Amino acid sequence: MKFTLKIWRQEGPHEPGRFVTYEAHEVSPGMSFLEMLDGVNQRLLGKGEEPVAFEQDCREGICGSCSLVINGIPHGPDQGITTCQLYMRRFCDGADITIEPWRAKAFPILKDLVVDRRGLDRIMQAGGYISVNTGGAVDGNVLLIGKDQAEAAMDAASCIGCGACVAACKNASAMLFVAAKVSHMATLPQGRPERERRVSAMLEAMDREGFGSCSNQYECEAVCPKHISARFIANLNHEYLRAGIVESGRPSEPESPHAESS
Amino acid sequence: MTRLNSKIPSGPLESKWDRHRFSEKLVSPNNKRKLTVIVVGTGLAGASAASTLGQLGYHVECFCFHDSPRRAHSIAAQGGINAAKNYQDDGDSVGRLFYDTIKGGDFRSREANVYRLAQVSTQIIDQCVALGIPFAREYGGQLANRSFGGVQVSRTFYCRGQTGQQLLLGAYSALCWQIERGQVTMHPRTELLDLILVDGQARGIVARDLVTGRISAHTAHAVVLATGGYSNVYYLSTNASGCNVTATYRAWKHGAAFANPCFTQIHPTAIPPGGAHQAKLTLMSESLRNDGRLWVPKVSPDHRLPGDIPSIERDYFLERRYPRFGNLAPRDIASRAVKVVCDEGRGVGTGGQGVYLDFSDVIEQQGLDVVRERYGNLFDMYHRITGEDAYQAPMRIYPAPHYTMGGLWVDYNLMSTVPGLFVIGEANFADHGANRLGASSLMQGLADGYFILPYTIGHYLATANLLPIPEDHAEARGAIQLVETRINRLLTVKGHRTAAMFHRELGTLLWNHCGMSRTEGGLTSALQAIPKLREEFWRDVMVTGSGDSFNQELEYAGRVADYLEFAELLCHDALHRQESCGAHFREEYQTEDGEPRRDDARFAYVAAWEYRDQAVPVLHKEPLAFEFVPPTMRSYQ
Amino acid sequence: MIRLFSHFQSSAGKKMVIALTGLGLVVFVVFHMLGNLQLFQGAHALNRYAAFLRDMPILLWTARIGLLCMAVFHIGLAVQLSVRNRRARPVGYLIHRYRQASIASRTMAISGMTLLVFLGFHLLHLTAGVIDPAFSDHLDAEGHRDVYGKVVHAFQNPFMVIIYLAGQVGLGLHLTHAISSSVQTMGFEHAGLSRLLKAFGPVIGLIVVLGNVAIVLAVFLRIVR
Repeated sequence: MKFTLKIWRQEGPHEPGRFVTYEAHEVSPGMSFLEMLDGVNQRLLGKGEEPVAFEQDCREGICGSCSLVINGIPHGPDQGITTCQLYMRRFCDGADITIEPWRAKAFPILKDLVVDRRGLDRIMQAGGYISVNTGGAVDGNVLLIGKDQAEAAMDAASCIGCGACVAACKNASAMLFVAAKVSHMATLPQGRPERERRVSAMLEAMDREGFGSCSNQYECEAVCPKHISARFIANLNHEYLRAGIVESGRPSEPESPHAESS
Repeated sequence: MTRLNSKIPSGPLESKWDRHRFSEKLVSPNNKRKLTVIVVGTGLAGASAASTLGQLGYHVECFCFHDSPRRAHSIAAQGGINAAKNYQDDGDSVGRLFYDTIKGGDFRSREANVYRLAQVSTQIIDQCVALGIPFAREYGGQLANRSFGGVQVSRTFYCRGQTGQQLLLGAYSALCWQIERGQVTMHPRTELLDLILVDGQARGIVARDLVTGRISAHTAHAVVLATGGYSNVYYLSTNASGCNVTATYRAWKHGAAFANPCFTQIHPTAIPPGGAHQAKLTLMSESLRNDGRLWVPKVSPDHRLPGDIPSIERDYFLERRYPRFGNLAPRDIASRAVKVVCDEGRGVGTGGQGVYLDFSDVIEQQGLDVVRERYGNLFDMYHRITGEDAYQAPMRIYPAPHYTMGGLWVDYNLMSTVPGLFVIGEANFADHGANRLGASSLMQGLADGYFILPYTIGHYLATANLLPIPEDHAEARGAIQLVETRINRLLTVKGHRTAAMFHRELGTLLWNHCGMSRTEGGLTSALQAIPKLREEFWRDVMVTGSGDSFNQELEYAGRVADYLEFAELLCHDALHRQESCGAHFREEYQTEDGEPRRDDARFAYVAAWEYRDQAVPVLHKEPLAFEFVPPTMRSYQ
Repeated sequence: MIRLFSHFQSSAGKKMVIALTGLGLVVFVVFHMLGNLQLFQGAHALNRYAAFLRDMPILLWTARIGLLCMAVFHIGLAVQLSVRNRRARPVGYLIHRYRQASIASRTMAISGMTLLVFLGFHLLHLTAGVIDPAFSDHLDAEGHRDVYGKVVHAFQNPFMVIIYLAGQVGLGLHLTHAISSSVQTMGFEHAGLSRLLKAFGPVIGLIVVLGNVAIVLAVFLRIVR
């Protein structure tokens, strides 16, 4: 098989970028999309040119590193997979393929197709955790969690943090990502004590990072490699509204207990 | 290097760890604040260690080469995590998990370490539940278990097919908390390129910022390596492409002993390679062997479609050779059996590299829906990669390098032979002996990171005399200079072959001569070929771009350069171990019916290798005493 | 309360205000349509209805001010978020393909602006009577203002019909996405009802538009004279 690739090249975060056209030869239908790009890069190296930088690691659809917009769709034409799970038999021989990076203000381009997704980490740092210390946890079976509840939490928890939802959203919003994290922890009893603080802090962090807001188009859900449902966004909104009401009833500063010496 | 001192506490097995913990010195809270620990790697071991150390009050500098700590390769573990909870009341216990692990490791691991691992396994599950990990549950709300990887009890906890990812996300979220609290400073996209030793103690690292190319020194009071295994030395493996040996190999060059490098596990159920373009091998969960039957045609060549071959002309080779365990035989045994039938020319598919994994019987007996429910996602994955429908025709599978039991030698405290250098998770050699059982790597990574290292490192920090070190210390400056020289050397070769070409060539060489079965002749020839390849590499490698920018080719070339040196160590170890045990199979040492022959009289020891500049590495032996489980023939027949 | 207020300062909170005010406006639009359907009962009924509303100036003006406030918040915040959202992706894609976003959801800005322009026109035309002042002062036989006559006069003009029908297209499109979207934004989610909730928007939108269009066309086609 043979393809004409139009690939976004950009030297660095502050350099201007442009599309460059490459030919991919001797592609077999059993090759993965990334293996096809490997081939292109090996040929570029053979000519002494700089290969196309793109991100990848596990190549089995779980690490969330790979991040290509292929012909206008994050992770390419198939649903429920990451770029590394896309195989060339999906394309017609001789097709033109346009490859772009995730595009969002919150994901600055580092080089070519590699973007900086630390914004998602910072959202997590704002509140995406259950603050329990290591050690001293009660027996795992003390807390009974119904199968349905556990499965619902798992549905949300399967997010791999690739950022395709942001790439697909017309507003470059990270709502589906935040929704998955918030819903996972709010569904489980372990996450309940901090649920108000968590949702508020994470949504504030999302705004701070420069992600857009949700327009309820559900493009995020359609490109999510792990089929995270947009109903978790409704769940996130519910949590947020609830947090606003619950928190408004609390004193803004925790009242100091009786003057005890510490 | 002095004699290896494993520092195993005396006394009964059950109370060694408890008494050891009590005898350890503690660091007072206000002193912890003044102590900095470097943690390299953010997989299960690294993330859990960094978060726990941060929680204890140390200042932690944490490094990973990914864009986010959540992407470490622990994330890819599918199957589950073992723990001796005995929730199923099927006769499991700490003792049984200990026994299974020792036996599974073919009596090449330390009793005390393994027993401790089994003891803390139960705490891991509790901790993970508290962190909000959505383990599979029964309808009544209790934790669900499944049987996994060649054991006879159900002790494996799981989160669908994503246990590794969920456990890592748990550790990562704990890490996020500590980052938010300011206890941990995270350095993503930063790769360790060298260690800094001052007065013989590990006091820091030299790291390269992968975005800007800046090389800088980071100093601390102790260094923890949690940098994973080295299966990628084989080029094609189930590891992520970023996994590499650089950190542990650099540590080895600084005097940390490397133990049992030849114990490399080959996983039986990967999708066979499809051609020269292949960049990695995809693992299919071992759970497929619960219902699938492995077979090849009895005679070769057989060009019929698998469905057209009547069952009488099929050789269900695992069931034939190991009637008691059948298709559930441990990984090393299954892999080797696959290799034997493929070597006989009975392999199926491209290049005869593959055997059938057939579900037609279970589909017939239990129905398509049952199989779809159990393995639907795996069948989909197989379909996506190969374009074949495994409900119609059997899958084809072939073994692939997967996990490395070998690693840097550590004592009971998880400290290497370099004082202040701790090694945890897959990067150390400790607990799996010559072969790892399924669902045990997650357990070991978290045991080290959550429950063992945080205690033992405290004792070191409390007792070692550690003066503060500025970041521009002479040793640090020297180390930076060495790293820069090496990078410049890579960039100035300007040869004709890419790093990937060298890597592939090395991988093929190792797979052929130091893979599933090894011979003296093969290893000797590999030991001759590797230095030549290395020399060619440094003469003819092509690295584009510059050192002071984002340069993936440069990162990769540096890793390949280390593989080219490390491969020699791997072969030395395999050559010296004149026995067959666990994942290490020497063709000269087998019984008449092709089973491995272990030699406890000569080889019941840990082989710890010491680096010598420009010379053959020196072997140190740590004898293994089995006081509680007398070694037996590991038979699964 | 201050904390609740600050809660609505975030983009998710603003979106909730947009949804709430939007739902308020939807309620108005529905009642507006139902009230106007009295046209089919004849001049007497419609003019009595108009007079009934005008006889309660406090209620009328409260409602008008309330509607105005809702519209101001709704539009103001929507513009604010749109600007912010646009900034969230400074460099666009060369190719961007939608997977499942509906036409209505993609044209919210256009349909919203169409609606705003139409609303202005409609207020000037039939409420304030600025555009066609000829008819504003007529009284009917009972001494009520002849709203019926005004409507009939207006929609016999084909240009007016075109403008009003265009306005209804904008309204229909806007409501189709808006109602279901508001339900999602307000955090209401129910696995069993999700299909029903998704259909909610298009159905209400369709009903409102059909009611309004029926009035316009009935006059234009001389079914109502």
